[in-house]
Order: sequence, then structure tokens, then C-alpha cells
Amino acid sequence: MRTAPFIAELRNRGLLTPEQAVAIETDEQTRPFSLHYEVRTLLYLGITLLSGGLGVLIYEHLDELGHGVVVAVVALLMAACFAYAARHRQPFSWGLVAGSSLLADYLLLLGCLLFLVLEGYLQAQYTLFGTRYGLALALPAGLFFYLAYRFDHRGVLSMAITALAAWVGLSVEPLAVFKNEFLTGSVSRAAITLGALLLLVGWLSETRRRKAHFAYTYLLLGGNLLLGAATAAMFTEVLQPLPLLVLLILAVSAGLFWYGRRAHSHVFLLLGAAYGYVAFTYGLVRLLSATGLDIVLALGLYYFIGSTVAAVWFLTHLKRLAGTDAHEQGL
Amino acid sequence: MNKAYNPVWARNEALQAAAHRWNRRGLLPLPQLQAIREAYPLGYYRPNIYLRILLFLLTVLGYVAAAGIIAVSAYELFDAVVPWEEQAKIGVVALLAAFAGQFVLYGTIKSSRTYRAGSDQALLYFSLGFAGTALYCFVLALFPLSIDLFALASPYLALWLVPVLALLLWATARFGDALVAALAYVVALLLLANALLQFGAGRLLLPFAIMALAAGLYRLVCYLAARSDYWYYRTCFMALEVLALATFYLGGNYLIVREGNAAIGGLLVSAPIPFAPVFYLLTALIPLFYLYYGLRRYRRVWVLTGLATLAFSGYTLRFYHSVLPPALASALLGAALIGLMAAALRYLRTPRHGLTTAPDNEAGERPGLNLEALIVAQTAHAPQAPEPGLQFGGGQSGGGGAQGQY
Repeated sequence: MRTAPFIAELRNRGLLTPEQAVAIETDEQTRPFSLHYEVRTLLYLGITLLSGGLGVLIYEHLDELGHGVVVAVVALLMAACFAYAARHRQPFSWGLVAGSSLLADYLLLLGCLLFLVLEGYLQAQYTLFGTRYGLALALPAGLFFYLAYRFDHRGVLSMAITALAAWVGLSVEPLAVFKNEFLTGSVSRAAITLGALLLLVGWLSETRRRKAHFAYTYLLLGGNLLLGAATAAMFTEVLQPLPLLVLLILAVSAGLFWYGRRAHSHVFLLLGAAYGYVAFTYGLVRLLSATGLDIVLALGLYYFIGSTVAAVWFLTHLKRLAGTDAHEQGL
Repeated sequence: MNKAYNPVWARNEALQAAAHRWNRRGLLPLPQLQAIREAYPLGYYRPNIYLRILLFLLTVLGYVAAAGIIAVSAYELFDAVVPWEEQAKIGVVALLAAFAGQFVLYGTIKSSRTYRAGSDQALLYFSLGFAGTALYCFVLALFPLSIDLFALASPYLALWLVPVLALLLWATARFGDALVAALAYVVALLLLANALLQFGAGRLLLPFAIMALAAGLYRLVCYLAARSDYWYYRTCFMALEVLALATFYLGGNYLIVREGNAAIGGLLVSAPIPFAPVFYLLTALIPLFYLYYGLRRYRRVWVLTGLATLAFSGYTLRFYHSVLPPALASALLGAALIGLMAAALRYLRTPRHGLTTAPDNEAGERPGLNLEALIVAQTAHAPQAPEPGLQFGGGQSGGGGAQGQY
């Protein structure tokens, strides 16, 4: 291996003891070649291709296939996936469950995707849920939440949260989808409420040590939902009053920023800074134009120069802000 | 060839990365890792990825704007003083811009110790771009007949490609930049194609010549990688290895050969090509050979290139023969992939043939979550806070989202 000169040099300089040098050299030579990420990627690709292909296949041949056959095949596949996952399940724990099988993880994901395929087919063919579309979305949300917690699976958790968000959106404004009018006041309010709820759940799961590693998913999805909906509502003015909205965005951004520092996470720092900057700039512009003065344009130039400098400062100090600087220095 | 960057930087970076890996595998206690880090400091400046992109863009903006402003005045000056041809004037201005860029680049590396920090890369790429433009202008000025220079079969193309290749080779040797090395290889490929297309039979030989060139490049990379300054050129070698494998495959790929043949001949619809069975065979076998070799010799580059080329072979097949309806093919392929991976997972549950499906190291899967290391770093080494100039020296790039907990 190419590290052999390094080991020899470190040993000669006294930075490695001879025993360590031998141990490291042996490890470098005998360590098996890891195909972990290749296998994971191919598994994920296979699952996407299979569920996507089945979904399109059913949709295309809705009239030709024997319904019973389709339902049976997909249901059987789904059951097999869930059965495999269940057979390889680990005992439930509120912490991170270690040592779960890779294949079981992916088959659980496939089972969930097939569940959606099956449900869509049943609804399209037999109108199983009639016009109670809410139920059609609440059912997967509930199932996925249960599976995510039981099998300690963050991918399924994201699917559950997505289904939940769809269900909430549908419940508050059932006809918005048909009117092609997605951004209404009530939808925005619901999205902000749901986002806040998800943030709260994420925070609680971390502080109460109830699946603390789920906090990342909750906070990321919840934060994006809340801030995205609030920012969109701010620009399109579907929600009033504006100052309250701006303050809300700033407060949540500050919260995410604080959390990012706490958890040493760059994502939350960037998220908080970006949404906060947009809301702050927009609020400032509205405030200044409300005064009716002519200085806005002149100030704007300086403001953007200043914010560019601030962005550069922020990015240069990102590691120190996140605390990963000391981490990398020390690691 | 004297190198633009300090070669010690690349070596120390690699050594620290190796030491981190040993630490994560539990072979090296933290205090010792810390001692190694202090004995082999990273003396260069390289910020996180966001800042690198920003620096790149800002430098490009500044460079192009400055070059443009100076070029306009210089051009007018030339207009008044010397009655040159249009191309010659543009060429001289571009050449001046290239020299100025190289000069600033040299100064930046000396004063700020930038090492692939965005700004130095921007200066390198754009000064080379200006130099290439200058060469093009000079060829046009010297040989007015070479107006259709950019046609692949043009006999004048080599006049431009040869100096460009020399320039890129010089820059590769000096800066050890992967993109420049890759570009040099692309130029060499173009030169080969251009030379062969001067003969009637050349088009027939082109696929085999490209494959031969790729094989030659691979031999060259293997030969050069044994040198002691391997670490300085590591990214170049990796890029060239991937390119050599990819072009060797593409040179024998049926789709590329057939459609390329039609494009060169100016046909709208491609016709079947001579030696078709040979190319079909190569299309099918090369990916399998890559995979086999990569798994036998533990070469990740071969495995990944093998997978990518295998996918392209599938695409080649479907391009000419509609085997199955897309949805059915997708479902079947997905099922096959899952089955295959399940078998692989089962077979490699205990490592066999030196292969495993377990991750290389547990902590490596979640970088930034090694809390024990963090605590030790913040308590045990708090007094030895690094001086301000060193704060960017982290051996790993920022990694963005990967730093988060998930």
C-alpha cells in the first residue's frame, strides 16, 4: 500500500511505537475491501426501479390486467418485504438501534413504496376510499410512522412526514388541488402550524431521548416546511399582518441557527442564515418604502455590499460557528 | 519541473488523512494522532466548499473585468501604433492577460499559500483559457487559410492543438490539477482523431487507435504513480485513470462508434458499421472485465467505472433494440438488482476473497459525530488553541450537510 512509507517514517520519528506500526501495517494489508456504499447504492437503485416500474406498469395496463392478479402480486411482494423486515427486526429501543440488517432496511423501504403503489391502484380501480381522500393519505402516514419507530428507519420517517403534510394540506383546503390554487391563507397557516409541530417533536425527541437521532429529520423537514411556507406567504401576501410573519421567520431562523451551533451542524446554520437573511431584507425594504423616503435606493447599494461582506464572514467562520473547527483540529 | 505549490502540503495532507483513518479504526489513540498532526502541519489555506465556490466566482469576475478594461485600452493603443491584423492584436491582448493571470497566481500562492482554494483554480483555468485563445488568434493570423479550424478533419487543427497540448502538459506538471490533466488528455485524443482523419482508412482505425491511446495512458499513469511525488499528482492520476478506462470502453462501444462514424461522415441516420460483431463483443465484455478486475485487485475506480460502463452498455442495447417495454424492463431490472445485492450481502456476511459489505469504519459513516473525540479535543487541548492563521487548515473539506447528524 501507499501508506507503508508513512508508517516507516512515523515509526522512525518515534510518533508510532513499533507494535503500533506493525498493527497498522497488518491492518492496511489484510483489511477487506469494503463494498458497502456500492451495495447500498445498487440496492437503492433496484428499489427505485422496481417500485417505479411496477407503478407505471399498473397504471398503463389498468384495463387489461386481471385485477386480482395485480393486487395479489403487489400485495404478496409487499408482504414478503415486510415479513423479511419483521423477521430481522431488532428489539425496540428509544435509542439508535445498532446492527440492523442492511437488506432488511431497504426491503422495508420497498415495502412502503409498494404499499403506496397498491393503495393508488385500489383507489383508482375500486375507489376504495370513495371521495374520502384524506383517509387515503392518513392511512400511509399512520402506518409509516409506526414502522419508522418500530424499525428505527429514518427514510420511512421522512415518507411518513411527507404523507402527513399531504394529509394536512388536503384536510384544510380539499378543493385547492382542483382549483390549481396551492398557496392560500389557510394552507399557509396549516403548513406553518405543522412545521412548528414537527420542530417541537424534533426538539422533544432530542431532549427527552426518544429516538434522538430522528431529531435531524424532524427539524430539517419541519424547519423547511415552516420557513418555506412563511416566506412564500410573505412574498405573495396571503397572510397578514406582515410584521408578525417576518418576526416569526426571524425567530425560527434564529432558533435553527442556535440549534446548528448546538448540534455542530452546518445544514441548520446555513438554513437559518439564508431564510433569516431573506426575511430581514424583505422586511427592511418594506419598512423603508413605507416611510416614503427616497433614500431606499442609495441605502440598498450599501446594504448589499455590507451583506456580501457579512456572507463572506459567515462562510469563513462557518466551522468555528458550528464548533466543527475545534472538532477537526482535535480529532 | 518546479512545482507551483509546496509538495510537502500534499504529502502532509495524505499522511494526516491516513492517521485519521487509523484513529477511526481504533489503531491510533487520540493523543498520538494529535502529535502527528502537530508534526506534520497543513501549511496551506483551503476554506470550506461554499467559500471556495464563492472565491472562485469572485476571482473569475475580478480577473475577467480587469482583463476586459485593460484589453480595451491596450487594443486602442495597438490600433494607433502598429498596423497589425485584427487577430494578431486580439492574440497579443489575450496573451498579456494570460501572463498577468499567471503572475497574480504566482503571487497569490506565495503570499496567501492558497492550495486549491478556489481563487488559485480560477486564475489557473482562466489564464490557460486566455493563453489558448491567444494561440488560436496567432494561428489564424499566421495561416489565413485555416479559417475552418474547428472542423475535426481540418488539416490546420493540429497547428492549434499541438501548442495547446504542450501548454496543458506544462500546467499539469507544474500545478498538478486534475481538470487540466483531463483537458490535456482530451486534446491528445482530438489530435489523434485529427491525424487519423487525414487518411481515407483513418476513420476505420479510429476506434482502435483511441483504445490504444487509452491503454497507453493507463500504462503511463501506472509508471508515473511509482514516482516519489505521487501525492502531489494524486488527483491527476485518479482523473486520468478514470478517463483512460472510460475512453477505452467508449472507443469500443457500438453506439459511440456507429453514431460517431455517422457524425463524421455527415450522415443524418447512422448506418451499420463494419466489424459490428467486434464492437458488440467489446461493448458487452469490457464492463464485465472492469468489474472482475476491480473486485479481484481491490480497485474501486475499476469497480465504479465498470458499473457505469455496464449501465451504458444496457443503454446501447436498448438504443437499437426495444427489448421490453420500459416499465417492465425497469421493474425486472430492479428486481434483479435487489436479488443480486441480497445474494451478495448473504455471501459476504463473513468477508470472503478479501471483500466485505460492512462499512470501512463505523465512525466514518457519520462524520462529525465522534463525540468522544470532540470532548477530548475541547478539554485536553484547550490551551493549545491554534493561531489564527491555521484555523482553515482542516484536512477535510467542509463537507456541508455531511457534517450534520443524521
